[in-house]
Amino acid sequence: MSTILLVEDDPQIRRFVRIALQGEGCAVREAGSVAGGLAATRDHQPDLLILDLGLPDGDGLELIANLRPWADAPILVLSARSLETDKVTALDRGADDYLAKPFGVAELLARVRALLRRRSARELSGPQLSFGEVVVDLARRTVVRAGEGVHLTPIEYRLLTLFLSQPDRVLTQRQILREVWGPGHSDSSHYLRVYVGRLRHKLEIDPTQPRHLITETGVGYRFVF
Amino acid sequence: MNPRPSFRLDLRRARGPSRYGLSVLVCIATTLIAKPLSPHVDPVNLAMLFLLGVFVVALRLGWGPALLASFLSVAVFDFFLVPPHLSFAVADAQHLITFVVMLTVALITSHLVARLGRQTEEALERESRTRALYEMARELAGTVALAQVAEITEGFLGQVPGVSSRLLLPDPAGELHTPEADGSAIGDMSPGRQAYALGEPVEVSIPIEGKVRIYLPLAAPGRAPAGVLEVIVDAATLQRERPLLHAVAPLAAIAVERLRYAEAAKATQVQVEGERLRNSVLSSLSHDLRTPLTALVGLADTLVIAGDALPPTHRETSQALKEQAVKLAGTVHNLLDLARLNAGRVGLRKEWQPLEEVVGAAIKLLRSALAQHLLTVELDPDLPLLEFDALLIERVIGNLLENAGKHTPPGTAIAITAHRDGHQAIVSVCDHGPGFPVGGELLAPFDHGETPTGKRGIGLGLAICKAIVEAHGGRLTLDNPSEGGGCARFSLPLGSPPAIEEETGEEAP
Repeated sequence: MSTILLVEDDPQIRRFVRIALQGEGCAVREAGSVAGGLAATRDHQPDLLILDLGLPDGDGLELIANLRPWADAPILVLSARSLETDKVTALDRGADDYLAKPFGVAELLARVRALLRRRSARELSGPQLSFGEVVVDLARRTVVRAGEGVHLTPIEYRLLTLFLSQPDRVLTQRQILREVWGPGHSDSSHYLRVYVGRLRHKLEIDPTQPRHLITETGVGYRFVF
Repeated sequence: MNPRPSFRLDLRRARGPSRYGLSVLVCIATTLIAKPLSPHVDPVNLAMLFLLGVFVVALRLGWGPALLASFLSVAVFDFFLVPPHLSFAVADAQHLITFVVMLTVALITSHLVARLGRQTEEALERESRTRALYEMARELAGTVALAQVAEITEGFLGQVPGVSSRLLLPDPAGELHTPEADGSAIGDMSPGRQAYALGEPVEVSIPIEGKVRIYLPLAAPGRAPAGVLEVIVDAATLQRERPLLHAVAPLAAIAVERLRYAEAAKATQVQVEGERLRNSVLSSLSHDLRTPLTALVGLADTLVIAGDALPPTHRETSQALKEQAVKLAGTVHNLLDLARLNAGRVGLRKEWQPLEEVVGAAIKLLRSALAQHLLTVELDPDLPLLEFDALLIERVIGNLLENAGKHTPPGTAIAITAHRDGHQAIVSVCDHGPGFPVGGELLAPFDHGETPTGKRGIGLGLAICKAIVEAHGGRLTLDNPSEGGGCARFSLPLGSPPAIEEETGEEAP
């Protein structure tokens, strides 16, 4: 049974999140403040944290920065959609995913399941991965779509393998740029967008409505198998 | 510190006839000292005493009195001390040599000493002038209002006899005024304007009064003038004091510029504070509205999920509850965004990006709302990167799609197209519904237009689209094509996107 720590100051939001998580068979611990969240993380060592960014005694961002050095449980951030800079900061500081308020139970459970699954199976399952019509052989460095070989440039391939290694996870633009282009390119976000577009044209069935290379507008990208 | 200008400008040497009187007194005193000594001392040595007197006079009183003292000393020496006494007659011819040498030495000494004294005096005068300028600069540095700068500058120049001055500063329209509250432009301003426009001094002589009006642009080196210093000065004084005037003008200029910058910085700060306050009100309002809405949506959803255990009517109620809550959340979201957009500079986070991505993101957000419609996307593959705020343009496309989905029957098609048209990109969302009310006029926020069917409302959502598109320098138009349906189009300027360097190394895969 997974233990989930819910750090949120509004009791009604806590209530429905708790009911939903308990329905999934999780044990739920609750805290209503930054200090309480830190103490509960120490005491219960949860498998997952669900964290509201606006807390009465401080900023949720502070909590992430405080506990990241010693706690590696995934963190799901709850935040208003229009405050995308907060979300990006939270993700850059070590949060794993975010959910825009207001959200439905189904969305919440999907995110929680994905994060818990990733915690239990972190390794890639093998040299061959497939999504949609595409099969990627990491050992041979080949990409095949519907039986036909696809030519990717070195950067496109690096970008694809980064996405494959972190499925279901929001990667911020800055994180991707640093991994693929190197530390000096954190301002070249138009490169990232152009290359993701090219990958979509090569791999997605309908590049205007991508199924796998999902845009998280204002934040970054998420890869879904 | 003394609030009034504390510098003193002692430009003149002590002058007047009293100096000559003093010179005579020195000669008399020397005679009174020398006379009792004459029986015991050789007259040639007494001449030395007189030379000393001349020296002192030259040192203290200047060249003129020293000249007087030289001749007087020789005369008195001859009259009282050289035999025969009390006569100008000379008994011994060798005394003639004494007189000639004495007079020559006295004259040369007085000349040299007086020149030295003059130079010393000039140096002192220069020093005191520098000190006065420095004092003025120091006082100018402490000013907090333009009127103070004028007061100090005019006060400083007013200490120079024959000089009066006014500081003239431009108002927002560029007209020159004195900086007082009721600052008026008196007299002919055209030479002042000329000096201000050219950045060069302009002089106008007033021959009747023997005066010159001089206009000095207030310009720190290498800058545009901040105003003009008008000085009215005697023609003779001007020759002497011109360097002073040219030293004062830049000092006043620096003070005026400093105050102007401080003013601008203050105005910016007030604006920033106002915006910060507005944003903090908006963000706490946003939090206070969104928190109960999140709870409402979530709790209603919990009821829906538990629906199997509920009687059918309650199940429907909970479903309706959730739908209304989601709708309300959407309206609040739009309302807050509109408030943010109307609050002034939204702080657009514009970045260069392909349109395709944001179209895809908007479609994904509305996938469930558009599930009953046939959506087609046709984007010109040659469209360059566009510069826009992705989140806001996603809202525009999303709102247009939502609007189309809401007002057209299920099963009809909605088409998103984008193409290039001159210097802009045009994005259209066209549907096959009843069209927009009144031929494409965008209504004010909260106004819901009525079509003959009474169904289509355009209000908040489109008002936001309009505000966002206009903030990007584009236009939003609505029209009903002749073949039916409604088309919403918006334009975005193309600009010049940054180049994308292609990869050079071609390796596997």
